[in-house]
Amino acid sequence: MMEKSLIRPDTISRLAGLAASYSVIIAFLAVVTFFSLSTPTFLTFANLYNVLVNNIVMLAIVALGMTLVVSSGGIDLSVGVAVDMASMVFVMLLAAGFAGPAGVVIGLAAALAVGVLNSILVTRLRISPFLATLGVLFIGQSTQQLSTGGGLPIYMTSGYPAEQFNLIARTSLAGIPTPVVILVLGIAAVYVALHRSVFGRYVLALGIQPGVAWYSGIRVSKHISWVYVACAFLAGITGIILSATVKSYVPLSGNAFLLDAIGATFIGTTLSRERRPSVLGTLLGVVLLAVVKNGLLLIGWNFYWQQVGVGVLVFLVLAVSFGLRRHLN
Amino acid sequence: MASASASGPKGLAGRGIATFAVRAGAFGAFVAVIVYFILFAPGFTSPFNIFNVVEQSAILGVLAFGMAIVIIGGGSNITEGGIDLSMAANMGLCAAAYASLLQAGYSDLVSVAAVLLVGAVVGAVNALAVVGLGILPLLATLAVMNIAGGAELTLTENTVVPASSPLLAFLMTGRFLDVSVLAWFLILFSGLMAVAIHYTGVGLRLYAVGGHPEAARAAGLGVRRYVSLTYVFAGLCAAIASVLTVSRLSASTPGSNEMLLSILAAALLGTVFSRRFVPTVGGTLLSVLFIGFLSNGFQLLNVSSYWVNGVQGALILLVVAATSFARGQEA
Repeated sequence: MMEKSLIRPDTISRLAGLAASYSVIIAFLAVVTFFSLSTPTFLTFANLYNVLVNNIVMLAIVALGMTLVVSSGGIDLSVGVAVDMASMVFVMLLAAGFAGPAGVVIGLAAALAVGVLNSILVTRLRISPFLATLGVLFIGQSTQQLSTGGGLPIYMTSGYPAEQFNLIARTSLAGIPTPVVILVLGIAAVYVALHRSVFGRYVLALGIQPGVAWYSGIRVSKHISWVYVACAFLAGITGIILSATVKSYVPLSGNAFLLDAIGATFIGTTLSRERRPSVLGTLLGVVLLAVVKNGLLLIGWNFYWQQVGVGVLVFLVLAVSFGLRRHLN
Repeated sequence: MASASASGPKGLAGRGIATFAVRAGAFGAFVAVIVYFILFAPGFTSPFNIFNVVEQSAILGVLAFGMAIVIIGGGSNITEGGIDLSMAANMGLCAAAYASLLQAGYSDLVSVAAVLLVGAVVGAVNALAVVGLGILPLLATLAVMNIAGGAELTLTENTVVPASSPLLAFLMTGRFLDVSVLAWFLILFSGLMAVAIHYTGVGLRLYAVGGHPEAARAAGLGVRRYVSLTYVFAGLCAAIASVLTVSRLSASTPGSNEMLLSILAAALLGTVFSRRFVPTVGGTLLSVLFIGFLSNGFQLLNVSSYWVNGVQGALILLVVAATSFARGQEA
């Protein structure tokens, strides 16, 4: 901006810069304080455990994949399809009498197929990521409706399948629930891949300056392909955990993760001055969304008002961060 | 992929021919599907059926025009370009408001005015977020989508709100020259849009703003004002579409957000028909009608409606893949 402000001491602009960078953390602290004061049940171990297992784990794993894709300059609208494909194949195989591990492996392979399709469309056929994954989303919806007689859920609440589900969703390692262990492994893997490896540097370079990255000899297609495949794989893991938790496959249920995952990833970008996605930022976004939903439920807002509340909060976080930064530049 | 314009001068010579081939190919794909329906779907070509499809397409058409305008004014970059994800939710909110107002005994005039205001306000919030605060359109409109969707649910508690009024009756049963009002509406609206966007200075400047904001600003155009107005216009389109949808269903119904993907598909598919791959009124209208004819033809052929989404998705991919060859490295 060219114009000169009359009053802008250095300290104020520095504070504003901090507020722009840490608006997610400020919002998170404000929200936690508010809910802790409004309801005694919020800040209890039982409730926070419930938020972690039921609201955070599955969304966070999908959002990690979205973070990879957004880092590379793309977007994946088909994460819900990958979630559903893994869930559908896993549950159908168990229903057909397959062993649990075989179901998991083939289910994850189905999710991988979605990722491979995306990467072919984006890198070989050069379709823009938005349109490519939109097309895959449509195709995935039809596939599910056609294979379930129009969208009938498959429930498996007893017998061998239920035991296999419990092995995933109801066990724990060293006192930590298995899904949480899986999440921690996922975070570690994506963190190393994106922030501590050559691969991650290349992916970020692609996201920032694709042309320069190409001229610099980065193998664009190879890296982009891996990003979409990894994203679908992570979404597939969520699909397996989802069907194990609810002991069923409900067609098209994966779509619920799409907008939250995109929201969390982009909320996370407010952490960095250059608006780059990061694992830490995305996780903060996921936790913020989860805590707000849970807290609004506890203070008695119904599902409808929750949606408004989450929307307004996300809007405010973005407004503060983007607005302040624009003001500073 | 976006690997900058790496195709040197040699690409330019072939580009014209390739572009032509792709546009012809896109038309060809559309024509092939339609010809197939004409040959094999009973009753497809009857005037009754054709106008039925046009009538059904009116709602999607109005929405897709709104989206097209936002994409024209904001540019077609994936993450930073113009997009309005809140349109379908906005339509749902407007429909709920319209039906509720009519039920509360307000007149058509008051209700329609109020609904246009609601739509415009939601659009203005988007404009404020995108232009005023500089939030990415994808994100800003995503948050507004949540808010509008939630507001609709709180208003209707997720129920169907029946509505009837003279205006709705007119929209539903009125006819002129044997063509229903909804069909006329789409025809006239498209005509107005085509004139405004392709034959006036406003339209030309809008393309300039979206195509190269810095150049447009240097040339003295009010870029921020133009972009803001595209979001307000999209909001108004959502409000208009909500009146049409209430007339077709005689009620406001939950779940309107499902239209979002069709709106995006129609607006983006429409870009294939333009030489520079930007949305145009004619291209958008063609894709809207094509999507309409596609589900209609499937119905007549007795194919399960579960195929429609998949085929629509596959066609989008096919057509867009073809265009990327014409775009070369720039895609």
